[in-house]
Amino acid sequence: MKKFRLLLLLITVTSILSAQDNSFLVYSFKGNVSVVENKTEAKAKVGKMLNSGATLKVANGAAVTLICNEAAMFTIKTAGSYSLSQFKDSCATSTSSVSANYVKYVWAQMTKTGGSPGSDRKKFMNTVGAVSRSVNNIWIDPRLDTVNYAGGDFPLSWKSYADAKEFDFSLFNNGNTTNAAYKTTVSKLKIPIPSFASKIKAGNSYMWTASVKGEQNEELKVLNYISKEAYESFLKELKATAGTFENVAEETYRIAFMLEDAHYLAEAYQYYSKAAALAPDVPLYRSTLMSFKKDYEIK
Amino acid sequence: MKKPIHKKIGQGIKKYHRHFTKYLYERDTIFATIWVFLFIIVLGSIPINLGIINPIKLGLKDFDFNDLSYSKLGKADLGKEKNKKFDNRIVIINIGQADRAGLAMMIDKAGTMNPKVMALDVLFYAEKDREQDSLLEEAFKRNKNLIAAHQLLPSGPDGDTIVTAGDYIKTASNYAFVNLFTDSLSSIRYYEPFEKDYKKKLYKSFTSAIVQAYDSAAYKELRKKGNSKTLINYSRNLSQYQIIPWETLMTDQADSSALAGKIVLFGYISTNKDDISDKFFTPMNSRFYGKSVPDMNGIVIHANIISMVLDDNYVKKLPSWVNWLVALLIGWLHMSFFVRYYLESHIWFHLVAKIAQVLSAIFFVWLGIYLFDSYRIKLDLKLSLIVIVMAVDVIYFYEAFAVWMHKKYHYHTVFHQKHH
Repeated sequence: MKKFRLLLLLITVTSILSAQDNSFLVYSFKGNVSVVENKTEAKAKVGKMLNSGATLKVANGAAVTLICNEAAMFTIKTAGSYSLSQFKDSCATSTSSVSANYVKYVWAQMTKTGGSPGSDRKKFMNTVGAVSRSVNNIWIDPRLDTVNYAGGDFPLSWKSYADAKEFDFSLFNNGNTTNAAYKTTVSKLKIPIPSFASKIKAGNSYMWTASVKGEQNEELKVLNYISKEAYESFLKELKATAGTFENVAEETYRIAFMLEDAHYLAEAYQYYSKAAALAPDVPLYRSTLMSFKKDYEIK
Repeated sequence: MKKPIHKKIGQGIKKYHRHFTKYLYERDTIFATIWVFLFIIVLGSIPINLGIINPIKLGLKDFDFNDLSYSKLGKADLGKEKNKKFDNRIVIINIGQADRAGLAMMIDKAGTMNPKVMALDVLFYAEKDREQDSLLEEAFKRNKNLIAAHQLLPSGPDGDTIVTAGDYIKTASNYAFVNLFTDSLSSIRYYEPFEKDYKKKLYKSFTSAIVQAYDSAAYKELRKKGNSKTLINYSRNLSQYQIIPWETLMTDQADSSALAGKIVLFGYISTNKDDISDKFFTPMNSRFYGKSVPDMNGIVIHANIISMVLDDNYVKKLPSWVNWLVALLIGWLHMSFFVRYYLESHIWFHLVAKIAQVLSAIFFVWLGIYLFDSYRIKLDLKLSLIVIVMAVDVIYFYEAFAVWMHKKYHYHTVFHQKHH
């Protein structure tokens, strides 16, 4: 009986300990990040302490860094809604001691091959003896700084100051700008997004750039591939803000304008085209569509 | 009948134990060890700086094996141990490129969030813009819990006549010095918590003044240690302190509880490795030897000092005589081992000596790091390693001397004939 009681006590203590709440500190964030606590949603604030019951909402392009139990740091970069209880694993800390790390370090150093510029050109050719002034032959319209794309035909375009015939287009996974996830050479000063849409995944964020073939361009632009659901939900919000005396063409034009403002350029193009078709006698709709096509190299 | 395993092990230990101890008490071993130390003392006493042509000496001038534990072995990584945890007592406001008016607004804003103590790590040498200066003067006046920085300028033959600079804005309630008392290219390993001038007037360092305002018990402990140079026990890097950019503070993106009851440090932080303003070399530099770039902003060094004092996490530095004694014992043991191979298995001598030197170096560096990490004891084993390295060469000198003495004065020696 005594043993049974002791076992029961042990089980209780263990379960109490394992059920202990993790605490999360908002260390930093960028973009739109909000916190839902006790069914109340509020904007995230640096230095705020959260418990496992809280939920974080991370918008597209936003990121938040948390510190769990003052001992483990992790960052959420992907848009979505996250209950903090799911980050229990991220609270785990390394238990390796300085002595163990010393053994690993000594072994790593003793077995490390240094390489030489002659044998490992890729590694040693990254050091350049020049400054960069970021003057390149390619100019990308700042309006393309961030493009939110959910579907449809729309080109990413640029201008060239050089008399070049071919251009390199590179697409990078967000956070890895060293190796391009997709690279192609085009002869035009633009590339339609559908031509590489199969290489990208909805819900992810990408960086892209264009350069004269063989040259480098450090200027990177953002392409957010938005899921259909997220886009539909955003569109619903836009439609909900309808004016009192708005006809269909007016509503379409308004939505096009708001989509363009929110960087949904492919979708805005569809709505501008629709507005111009619905009211062909309104010069504003036609001229806006023409300007839009000219600005974004849509032919 | 086969011998039991424990007997085999016992015999093995005995055999190798003999390798070390066979010549341990021989007069030659003791004298050769003394010779090593004489060489070190004589070479170290040459008044000419031979280091000028010795790149190794130049490279190792600012080298400490314990730096390894910070830069490569994760001693200061975020973790669950007490001294590795995120320090929630300290918040650093990154002032970026804010001007004096910006600083005034920042101080006022932070002041409304009820920090226990605020400290501004900025020096103001002269008038800049009357309007901005007066804004800052007013902010200093309003916030009585603000500690402002100044610089001590020692002068006079003994350097004990002290004037202050960098305190053009005179309205703060409390000033403390931010001198680090080292050259800007050396690693910041020590700091001076207090400084006294010839009139015995006490000047508090920036961190000492902050600790005094935050935790009087910790300050008392610090005072007990006196005015001597104190070794900084770095325990945290940038991610172990809450850093709030000034824009975040001013746009209400910081939680109202983020500063309440805490130490708020205003300082410049840049993670750009090309920006080295107010950045220094520390033992936490990822490249702990040779050429590198400064790695830590001054305000983070101050934060580390504060954490150390508040946690009573001081490092006990052993006196030099202990380092010499340890080096003597290690050198003696190695000399005995080397003499054994020199005399009895000379063909293997160089190979064994080199292997022993490498293994000893690895072991004694670990020992130093272990003592430092586990017991906060700083034992400088650099001398021991030099002794191990020199022992091999000194044997040759000593042998020549012993053989000559033997021939001339019938000096009793184990080196009966020259090996080389």
